[in-house]
Amino acid sequence: MSFLSEIRLDDKFGPFVAFQEALGFIPNLLRAQTLLPRVIEAQAKLESAVRLHDGAISRVQKERILLGVAADRQDAYCVVVDSKVLASLGLSDSQIDDFLNDYRHADLSASDLTCLQFCLKLARHAPSVRSEDIQALRACGFTDESILEAVVVTALAIYRCTLSVGLGPEPDFGPRKLASTRIDPPREGELHGLLPDIHEAAQRRGPYVPAPYLSPSTFAPFSVVQKSHGFVPNFFRAQTLRRDLLEAELEAVGRILLPEDVLTRVQKECILLAVSAANLNSYCVAMHCNLLRGLGMPSDEGDQIAVDHHQSSLSRADRALLDFAVKLGTRVSEFSLKDVVKLQTLGFTGAQILECEVVTALNNFANTLQMGLGIEPDFEPPAVFQENKVHLSTTANRQSGMSVVLSPQMSVQDLDAGLVTQAQGGKLEAFEELVRRHSQLIYRTLTAILGNPADAQDAMQDTLLNAFKHIGGFQGRSKFSTWLVSIARNTALQGLRGRKSIESLDQSGNEEDQDFRPRQVRAWQDNPEQCHSKSEIRQLVERGILGLPAKYRVVVMLRDIEQLSTDDVARQLGLSVPAVKVRLLRGRLMLREWLSPHLMTSTKGAAR
Amino acid sequence: MITCEEFFAEFADYLENQVSPEVRQELELHLSQCRACHVLYDTSRKTVKIVTESSSFELPESVSDPIIERVMARLRKDR
Repeated sequence: MSFLSEIRLDDKFGPFVAFQEALGFIPNLLRAQTLLPRVIEAQAKLESAVRLHDGAISRVQKERILLGVAADRQDAYCVVVDSKVLASLGLSDSQIDDFLNDYRHADLSASDLTCLQFCLKLARHAPSVRSEDIQALRACGFTDESILEAVVVTALAIYRCTLSVGLGPEPDFGPRKLASTRIDPPREGELHGLLPDIHEAAQRRGPYVPAPYLSPSTFAPFSVVQKSHGFVPNFFRAQTLRRDLLEAELEAVGRILLPEDVLTRVQKECILLAVSAANLNSYCVAMHCNLLRGLGMPSDEGDQIAVDHHQSSLSRADRALLDFAVKLGTRVSEFSLKDVVKLQTLGFTGAQILECEVVTALNNFANTLQMGLGIEPDFEPPAVFQENKVHLSTTANRQSGMSVVLSPQMSVQDLDAGLVTQAQGGKLEAFEELVRRHSQLIYRTLTAILGNPADAQDAMQDTLLNAFKHIGGFQGRSKFSTWLVSIARNTALQGLRGRKSIESLDQSGNEEDQDFRPRQVRAWQDNPEQCHSKSEIRQLVERGILGLPAKYRVVVMLRDIEQLSTDDVARQLGLSVPAVKVRLLRGRLMLREWLSPHLMTSTKGAAR
Repeated sequence: MITCEEFFAEFADYLENQVSPEVRQELELHLSQCRACHVLYDTSRKTVKIVTESSSFELPESVSDPIIERVMARLRKDR
């Protein structure tokens, strides 16, 4: 019996057989997930790769980490299971009791003690881990692989503890006595303090463990993730030392996150975003903001979920789902059966609640791993999230029900903010100044969409009038320039609808179908631009860009002509960063083909 | 050594200078031995340079000023 109903699965169910063989019993934690056999398979994969055999660190060392983390979290269920496993590996009952009572006096070697303290620090407050901690491990003989394993085992411990709190399984064996108080953090000098320090955390340098290059075309799991995510995140690239771990993690992702039959992919990404934000994990926040954009969510909506989902435009039920996940993911001591019942009364099914819990557990696994390995970001996190980090970390205001709405004051640093306020108050001079500042950006956006400078000049006037008409509704969630681009885009698209030729700007999704491969392989002159006059080059480039299909033209225009960052282009256009990268490369390669005949070594001059 | 296919898979990030040192090393080893990819890289790099430095689509003030003036005049009239 657990919080959710269970269905009877045959003991011959693959993962059950595997656990029976490896541990001698089938943990109730798995039986509590029988509503969704695929998530049991995911957990079995993870456990078998991470835990169930000797690796760079021994099984006993791994089990000690699992037990240590479970005890530190006062997780009675996992403590019982892990104690049993340690006993089966030859530890005596009194050794286990000593360990549970105070691991510092349990006869551990110096290196085991350092390792355990590192893992506990990582489990308790991952953002406080920094490279000095890794150096401390190396100093007592830990190799890259053993550091990687220690981090992954800690992440697995968090995964299991999150699930045990969320599912409330019956204990598999009789209770174990836990120390009544948590053991104090290691003293200064042993390891760095356990207290969160956001500012220092921001300065830490990763990745901590080197990772050999693996290509998507030879390592099949990478090509799968490239299809599902649009790229191979550094999160996975950072673990290439151990392909077996990667394979297991990617399989877990495939079984937990990708199916749409219970919760939707968007709901699951929202859970990952909200819980990562509550864990102060800016890497994962940036990642899930981007993935949500790729799934069609406007970027300011993603930012709002990261800062405070209560103010987002999600449905009441989905906001409650995120409340549930954030509580389970970050405030386990407050979580109870009541939270499960609350979701049931809102109409969520047992399978949906289970999947939400597993996604939360997987999120905590990923957050722990990312912090423990110091994995470098793939994308910039939303500026609003960065600025509000410290603010968010005080759980006090979350508990008191205070909510955070993105407002101009707390939003992105925007040099236009003062003028915008004046213009919103009706001051025309302020509006004129804003327009002059951004006239090139507006013009280039219009040209890119309309594909014709003359039309762009015509549309400019309407864009400016529309901007003034709607400026009162600009709430400062994004930069003013981003908002102006969206006004220009809408104005241009309205103009296009009036005409015959509508070129779609976002046939998103099927980017890889129309694989564009470069054809020209002739070398160019050394400084090709010097063989032509500046105006010749400019004409050539303009004609090339106007000749591109609209969706590439817009991206090339904003990135290479207007020279916005890739991240800004993605925000302006409401695309994910990977989608922008794909379109940008394609646009650039098409321009290369166009320029090639004019700039090849064999042609001299003649730019026609 | 990696194949041309593998090189191309990382090409967008390489062009943007956004690859890790490990990946960069692999790609540059490939570039040093594969003429076709070397040409592709060299010409793509030049393309980006030419495009970004071309000052394309600059709206001269002689064009933008009258547009802005017209808009501002209309807004003043509408007050």
